[in-house]
Amino acid sequence: MTAVSQPAAPQAPGTRSARPGSFRLLVNNRLAALGLVVLGLIVVVVLITPLLPLQNPDVTETANRLLRPGTPGHILGTDHLGRDLLSRLLWGTRVSIAVGLSATAIAAFFGSLIGLVAGYFGGRADAILMRSIDMLMAFPYILLALGIVAVLGPGLLNALYAIAIVNIPFFARNIRGVTRGLSRREFVDAARLSGKGHAGILFTEVLPNVLPVIVITMSSTVGWMILETAGLSFLGLGAQPPLADLGSMLGEGRKLLFTAPHVSVIPGVMIFALVMSINLVGDGIRDVLDPRLRSGALARPSARTRIDRRRVPPMPARASGSALDVVALETEFQVGDAVHRAVGGVSLDLGDEECLGLVGESGSGKSVTAMSILGLVATPPGTIVGGRVIFGSEDILEVSNETLRRLRGDRISMIFQDPLSTLHPLFTVGDQIAEAIRAHRPVSFAEAWKQAVQLLELVRIPGPKERANSYPHELSGGMRQRICIAMALANDSSVLIADEPTTALDVTVQAQVLRLLDDLRRDKGAAVLFITHDFGVVSEICDRVAVMYAGRIVELGTTEDVLSRPAHPYTRKLIDCVPILGEPERRLDAIEGLPPKVDRLPPGCAFADRCPQVRTNCRTGDIPFDDLGGGRKARCLYPLVEVAA
Amino acid sequence: MSPLFRNTLAGMAFAALATGAVSAPALAQTPPNVLIVGQIAEPKSLDPSVDTAVNDFRILMNMYDGLVRYKDGTLEPEPALAKSWDISDDGLTYTFHLRDGVKFHDGTPFNADAVKFTFDRMLDKDNPYYDTGPFPLAFFFSAIDSVTAVDDSTVTFKLKEPYAPFLSNLAYPTGLIVSPAAVKQYGKDFGRHPSGTGPFKFEEWDSNTKVVVSRNDDYWDGAPPLDAVVFRPITDANTRVAEMLSGGIDLMVEVPPDNLKQFQDDPNFKVYEQAGPHVWFLILNAKEGPFADKRVRQAVNYAIDKKSLVDNVLQGTAEVAAGPTPPAFAWAYDNKLQPYPYDPEKARQLLKEAGAEGAELTFYVTEGGSGMLDPVAMATAIQADLAKVGLKVNIKTFEWNTFLGEVNPGLAGKADMAEMAWMTNDPDTLPYLALRTGAFPDKGGFNSGYYSNPKVDALLEKARTSTDQAERAKLYKQMQEIVHDDAPWAFIANWKQNAVSTAAVKDFSLQPSFFLILRDVSKG
Amino acid sequence: MLAYILKRLAALVPILIGLTIIVFLMLALIPGGTAVAILGPLASPENIAKVNKELGLDQPLIDQYLTWMGNLLHGDMGRSYSLKRPVIDEVFERFSATLILAGTSLVLCSFFGLLAGIVSAVRQFGWTDRIVTFFVLIGISTPSFWLGLLLIMLFAVDLRWLPASGMYEVYGGGGLGDLLRHLILPSITLAVVATGVIARLTRAAMLEVLRQDYIRTARAKGLTERRVIYRHAFKAALVTVIPLIGVQTGLVLGGAVYIETVFQWPGIGRMLVDAISTRDILLVQGGVLVLAVSYVLFNLLADIIQTVLDPRLKS
Repeated sequence: MTAVSQPAAPQAPGTRSARPGSFRLLVNNRLAALGLVVLGLIVVVVLITPLLPLQNPDVTETANRLLRPGTPGHILGTDHLGRDLLSRLLWGTRVSIAVGLSATAIAAFFGSLIGLVAGYFGGRADAILMRSIDMLMAFPYILLALGIVAVLGPGLLNALYAIAIVNIPFFARNIRGVTRGLSRREFVDAARLSGKGHAGILFTEVLPNVLPVIVITMSSTVGWMILETAGLSFLGLGAQPPLADLGSMLGEGRKLLFTAPHVSVIPGVMIFALVMSINLVGDGIRDVLDPRLRSGALARPSARTRIDRRRVPPMPARASGSALDVVALETEFQVGDAVHRAVGGVSLDLGDEECLGLVGESGSGKSVTAMSILGLVATPPGTIVGGRVIFGSEDILEVSNETLRRLRGDRISMIFQDPLSTLHPLFTVGDQIAEAIRAHRPVSFAEAWKQAVQLLELVRIPGPKERANSYPHELSGGMRQRICIAMALANDSSVLIADEPTTALDVTVQAQVLRLLDDLRRDKGAAVLFITHDFGVVSEICDRVAVMYAGRIVELGTTEDVLSRPAHPYTRKLIDCVPILGEPERRLDAIEGLPPKVDRLPPGCAFADRCPQVRTNCRTGDIPFDDLGGGRKARCLYPLVEVAA
Repeated sequence: MSPLFRNTLAGMAFAALATGAVSAPALAQTPPNVLIVGQIAEPKSLDPSVDTAVNDFRILMNMYDGLVRYKDGTLEPEPALAKSWDISDDGLTYTFHLRDGVKFHDGTPFNADAVKFTFDRMLDKDNPYYDTGPFPLAFFFSAIDSVTAVDDSTVTFKLKEPYAPFLSNLAYPTGLIVSPAAVKQYGKDFGRHPSGTGPFKFEEWDSNTKVVVSRNDDYWDGAPPLDAVVFRPITDANTRVAEMLSGGIDLMVEVPPDNLKQFQDDPNFKVYEQAGPHVWFLILNAKEGPFADKRVRQAVNYAIDKKSLVDNVLQGTAEVAAGPTPPAFAWAYDNKLQPYPYDPEKARQLLKEAGAEGAELTFYVTEGGSGMLDPVAMATAIQADLAKVGLKVNIKTFEWNTFLGEVNPGLAGKADMAEMAWMTNDPDTLPYLALRTGAFPDKGGFNSGYYSNPKVDALLEKARTSTDQAERAKLYKQMQEIVHDDAPWAFIANWKQNAVSTAAVKDFSLQPSFFLILRDVSKG
Repeated sequence: MLAYILKRLAALVPILIGLTIIVFLMLALIPGGTAVAILGPLASPENIAKVNKELGLDQPLIDQYLTWMGNLLHGDMGRSYSLKRPVIDEVFERFSATLILAGTSLVLCSFFGLLAGIVSAVRQFGWTDRIVTFFVLIGISTPSFWLGLLLIMLFAVDLRWLPASGMYEVYGGGGLGDLLRHLILPSITLAVVATGVIARLTRAAMLEVLRQDYIRTARAKGLTERRVIYRHAFKAALVTVIPLIGVQTGLVLGGAVYIETVFQWPGIGRMLVDAISTRDILLVQGGVLVLAVSYVLFNLLADIIQTVLDPRLKS
């Protein structure tokens, strides 16, 4: 379920983008900002090092060895040969950074090349390349590095090559994985069909899409490469005297750890700061390049929707006798600077044992309404900003988390749309149903399992005892949905909220599941809030129907009434959209225009721009939800149906 | 914070405290009357005929005896397994009278046959046990023509020509006597199942962890005070120091110069120092390149500030070397010889004369190795000194074995200079192997710098075959003067080896031979 | 399942063959030879030639390689030139020491890494997340060899709580308590980097999983948050993370070299470094073989665990 719809219309000039810009994202992440500052500082200082009035880092003055930091003339002291530490530190950092970047670039280049070729061509080339990579990876990396250096001879450049070579497999594997996925996509097929050669496709189609992954991988390995090169220098195989990098400085200072710790502590702190800041910035870059963070959906949803109500209607004086009473519910989504009013004041009353349908197009807010009831809307970015949900005599928006948890799955249950993604892939279906039972009733696992099998029988699954041991991916779509229904019925809930339960199913299966649902709810005496976009389904099982548009209910009434004589122009248009078998001459009118964006709702009626009978006063003021008599209501100043009051 | 997480944290904290509380007192001591020695490396083998490294010698000298041994604190041979000996007038026959009633650790008797076996094994290619080698230092005894066991207590050595260092070499580990029975039993594996006549006998060898030897109660020279000795190889100098400071070892050799002061200032430790026959020098490529000119070689000797090196880099753990012979060979050392003074002006002048100003030099440096002291730091300081007189030095560092593989076959076509250090037992050894024309690498010698001076060759031959020490001394002194002037090497330093022990260790002293003699040591 | 395991084991073979070839070539290219290493500083060229002939090192490389392979298939890894004992004995002794060290480290880094990852994902952007993230970053940014020295200095020299080096007390040691005490510092040092990496991976995996629909279902069923996180979310995240932990074993085995040096742990990493420097080809071959096999087996184990956890992978 997507909470945010893609902007279809171009943005009006002068308005700020609703999406946070890259730089702002990066900076907002405070740790990344800290890393950026530290890294920036280090980089600036080492860049201007040749211009600074530093002492010569290579001149030895053995009489002045091991001076402590703070000695006049040597701010950071001297090392064991009397060389100024500040100067050596800065020059050494230059070398370390240069080496780290170069090694990363080399490893990235060759590794990505191998990964691209292997992932794109697949087959034999892939097998050979990946086997070679596996071979390289099976080698203990330090040994490989030592061996390479032993063959090439000591020296910073050779250490660089060694580290780069050793890290190629990492890139190769990552890039290959991504490339493989991309190569099967349609745009690659399209490019092939259009006659592009392999090289062309690889570099102009695939590479740009893989580039973010390459950059991310690079940013997460630069720090590591600096450390590894330092390790080789630490062993004496990297930088040769008098050239120093941070690693060799550490190695030299190591012997003096007890007598003059500053000689090793200072480069140690520097290498730590350098690598740490690189890692922080790398994380920040990674987050920025992740498209999900841009849409504000990366954060982990909390256990319950946040509630911050601006408008709280008074509690009704007496119990209404309905199973569930939703009063003026308002739910908003905050994405960047924009506020999307997904549910803009919805009131529903669900009677005992009745089936109420909630109909609307995608983006109308029907799913959000359903989720808001049990507080399952993802926060961030969702917040319930108004209204009440009254169950029994309580407003369940006000109860404690523990109370709500006890209600969920026990008194009020939900059935979701896509049974494959809503069932846990790693547990058997019997396990998942039994779990639902044991969450609310103190029964043993064996007893719960028995009940689960009984439920499976109830939802007409053949061979329920064996089936209970199956995993969701082993079952067909129809069976999975039955299982979801079984789970929802496990504790004899009085209210079932079904969010498009049949949309993901084949038409034939749809009918079966609908029938099942209908029979069961009558047997169990449960009230059902049935959410769908399909009027056909509504006509099958719903007693009453409510129509939603742009976050508000625009029509309410019995199914028969609404379907035969819709009051709201939108309802009329919706019904007209549905093809009816056997009536080929029926004109299918698409509704012109698009639903308004719920972050910028126009004043007045939300349907005004698309309504065939719009009049001037439709666009001003709040349109009330008028009672048309006989249980019918419509949010229209000029309803299509006049009913005697 | 989730309860699981909280509990885990608490559990860890508790465990840490508990471990600390329980172990705090227990870890401070090593076992009583057992000496734990921190070695610098894992031993290669415990077969004395096979070993070449001082590190191994330190263990061997406590498990085996030779016919003779060095007198305490000197390099003079005294009786050991041989009570006495006679040398023929022509210096070709040595007759040794052996001690009676001595047994090897495996119970077999020590006799003349054992002596013959030991040397035949090393020297006779047709000996059935020759393949338990190789025996790299066998050439110390290449002068031997034959060994005869006259009777159980008498053995005779016939030499091909007079060889002055013979007795001294017999005191060297290569001359230690092995148990024939053990060699016959273990063959190639004898190195891991050693059996000698020494004050301590072999108990176990745990790879890279320890070699344990225990007291030999039947030792002919009196059972040693210690119950046992454990040799722990700790290759990382820092860790060695840490172990010493934390009480994990009792005795440590080759203390890093920078840590010496720390131990000297601490009353819980005793520091020992002893000059030994050690030379640290730079081999100069006299065949080609700038160093083919004597003036350039001398210039380098003037340009390096050796005093500063020795005082500051080596923290006073060495003395400046004047020539190829270390002062530890007191009788052969030329006292009148002065080291090259630090004179960069003179160096520049010499370079100008030789037309070698601004020359570029390739310098082979090693990371470690027996007796190499602080090779990288010293090389860096040398590089800086030479830079001050306009010479550009490019350093190439190698791990020790790789380094030897590069340097020993000769520097031609590879480098202009290389570090080197030698520890020997006789003033003949080093010059004979490294300064003679007949010792070029292709002839099996170690003259990697291709130095050649027929006068020196003659002096060395004469000194080696002379039987009169006074005459030898004269010849060596002459040699030193010539070599000092020819400057085939840059003579840098003579090491004062050092060791540290806890205050509880008694009767320990360092030997000029660099051996670790523990038979008189006690703890308490 | 059995077929799957056998198939994976079979895939090992070409990898190992390739590995041994690489090692052979590598050692052949290193300047300096085995003979110098055996004979030591007084190795003259004629001695070297003698040794080479004795040990068959003057044969063409291919012959040497084939001989070695032939012996291997008979269970004979040859005799180490430098140590003068059978390679197999040395390798397995040293390897078991590394296994103890690396194994402990892996357990530590898996446990703490997973825990840290879960906590930091669940409390995303909270204070716990920030603190954990901070420590994780420190972990992956610190050179392990340096950290080891600092720990020795603190715990062994200053506080005297723990031994400075070695695997057991050298005299009268042995026993589990002794081993554990010696294991603490080195295994923690070795585990630090891998813990950081695993923590980050787990956090990312958890965040990914927590956004899935089946988590919403779990909540809709009225399960306690604890059950949702640890039973539903964590299990699913584990499936993604386990193979990555397998890859970390390579890092741990590799990083063991530094730790074994600093803590004087008699492990195989150190043995290999020494063996390279002495050009002891047979020893290097034996060591690399054992390490590579164990690495691949570890990964296989990780994959098997993953398959057990995720029934979708069986099909």
